[in-house]
Amino acid sequence: MKTYFRNFIQFLGGTTLLSIEVFKELWTWPFPTKLTIEQIYQVGLKSLPIAFITAASTGMVMALQFGLGLEKFGGKLYVPKIVSLSIIREMGPVFTCLMLAARVGAGITSEIGSMTVTQQIDALRALGTSPIKKVVIPRVVACLFSIPLLVAIANAIGVAGGMLVGSSDLGLDPQFYMQKIFETITLTDYFSGFAKAPFFAIVISLVACYYGLNVEEGTRGVGSATTKSVVTSSIFILVGDYFLTKAFWVVEQWL
Amino acid sequence: MALIDVKSFKKSFRGKTVHKDISFSVNKGECLGLVGGSGVGKSVVLRSLIGLEKADGGQIMIDGEDITKFSESQLTHVRIKVAYVFQNGALFDSLTIFENLAFPLREHTDLNENQIQEKISEQLEEFGLSGNENLYPNQLSGGMQKRVGLARSIIIGPKAILYDEPTAGLDPYNTLKIQEMILRMKKKGVTSILVTHDMPTAFAVCDRFCLIEDGRIKAQGTRDELENQKEGYLKKFIDGERGK
Ligand SMILES: Nc1ncnc2c1ncn2[C@@H]1O[C@H](COP(=O)(O)OP(=O)(O)OP(=O)(O)O)[C@@H](O)[C@H]1O
Ligand SMILES: [Mg+2]
Repeated sequence: MKTYFRNFIQFLGGTTLLSIEVFKELWTWPFPTKLTIEQIYQVGLKSLPIAFITAASTGMVMALQFGLGLEKFGGKLYVPKIVSLSIIREMGPVFTCLMLAARVGAGITSEIGSMTVTQQIDALRALGTSPIKKVVIPRVVACLFSIPLLVAIANAIGVAGGMLVGSSDLGLDPQFYMQKIFETITLTDYFSGFAKAPFFAIVISLVACYYGLNVEEGTRGVGSATTKSVVTSSIFILVGDYFLTKAFWVVEQWL
Repeated sequence: MALIDVKSFKKSFRGKTVHKDISFSVNKGECLGLVGGSGVGKSVVLRSLIGLEKADGGQIMIDGEDITKFSESQLTHVRIKVAYVFQNGALFDSLTIFENLAFPLREHTDLNENQIQEKISEQLEEFGLSGNENLYPNQLSGGMQKRVGLARSIIIGPKAILYDEPTAGLDPYNTLKIQEMILRMKKKGVTSILVTHDMPTAFAVCDRFCLIEDGRIKAQGTRDELENQKEGYLKKFIDGERGK
């Protein structure tokens, strides 16, 4: 228990310091453009399939569940509303980011972790360069750029998946379905979900970089660091989601 | 004048004291051998000299500046002056050999692409590595990786070089190659510190030795001085190493 507590404090301190350093070095010249573009390819483009599959199946399953459930009460016509609203506000951003915490987070931690173990991170420092700038910033910026885009794509796919099931299995007219979506969803709805993406992107990338840079005890450490990275960022996404939802809700009241 | 001067250096990790009181100095152009058993903290001393580890106490003077309080960005110019050769080369495995060697040049010099190309082929030639430009580190043998690591460390012309077990795990041919390179750098007037268990190499290249034991410098001097010492620390150490 005591070690858990100590590790947690160490993690909080470590990630805070890391974010400060990232923020400081972000504005110093030159920006690592080439490395960042490489990471956008790794993080963004290569995650498209997983974001696609996650979103499509979420949308389809939800349409099916609500359709079957509401049919008993004659509420099938509410499916477009409910499904698209829950995807846009909640399921799209959170499920996509959870999957990305696994794919992208694990990738970043294991890659940086093996660089740490093989002294490549030390070598960057010894050659008079900054691992923050060469390794961390490209990944954080790439996540911050790609993950919201992936979420936007996932939102669209998820809603489309719902519509597909709605028309094929529930017998709802696609035109009616579409019309309902546009009637229901407001810009506020959209942004209250979408705006979570940048927060999750920062969590995923910073947590992953932190665990990668702090690998201990050789190659075996890379495995356990990767596990910790995925578990930690998933928990932060799930718990953070509650607080973000609440915060956005307060903001919505003002608007 | 001493290029590297360490005074009462102290270091511990999470309550475990590794160094209590380490003091030694290295003059310009000199090669110092840092020897001691496994785990006495030779790498820790070497890493601290360029600020890869923060000292808990004492002074580390590099070229007249105390670097112990330096920030990462202040350490940059120290690290350009003092190169570090890592035990296993520490090559960037996502970059080719050429890109590995180009890395410090691109970071710290204004050379254009042609000049970089020229400089790298020259360097590879000198290290007997020509023709490997486009390979990745994992396509090279351990010995070659170490040589590339050495080449990368010195390509921008440092004043001093720190070698961490440059010959560990190498066959006699590669060991000899590394020895030659260290001697060549020494001839150019570069100051060096060599951490090693390989006493033949140490005797071949070093002018003076420091023996670390139990967090302190147990003995220091030239080979003759140490061999004639009545406590015979060096002899004990060498016999111990042979016994392993
Ligand atoms: N980052 C670190 N965290 C905790 N302990 C460390 C760290 N670095 C070194 N140590 C400890 O310091 C001691 C000295 O390590 P060091 O690697 O300097 O030994 P060495 O003399 O270079 O040994 P070898 O000949 O095996 O390379 C070891 O006991 C090691 O456990
Ligand atoms: Mg060592």
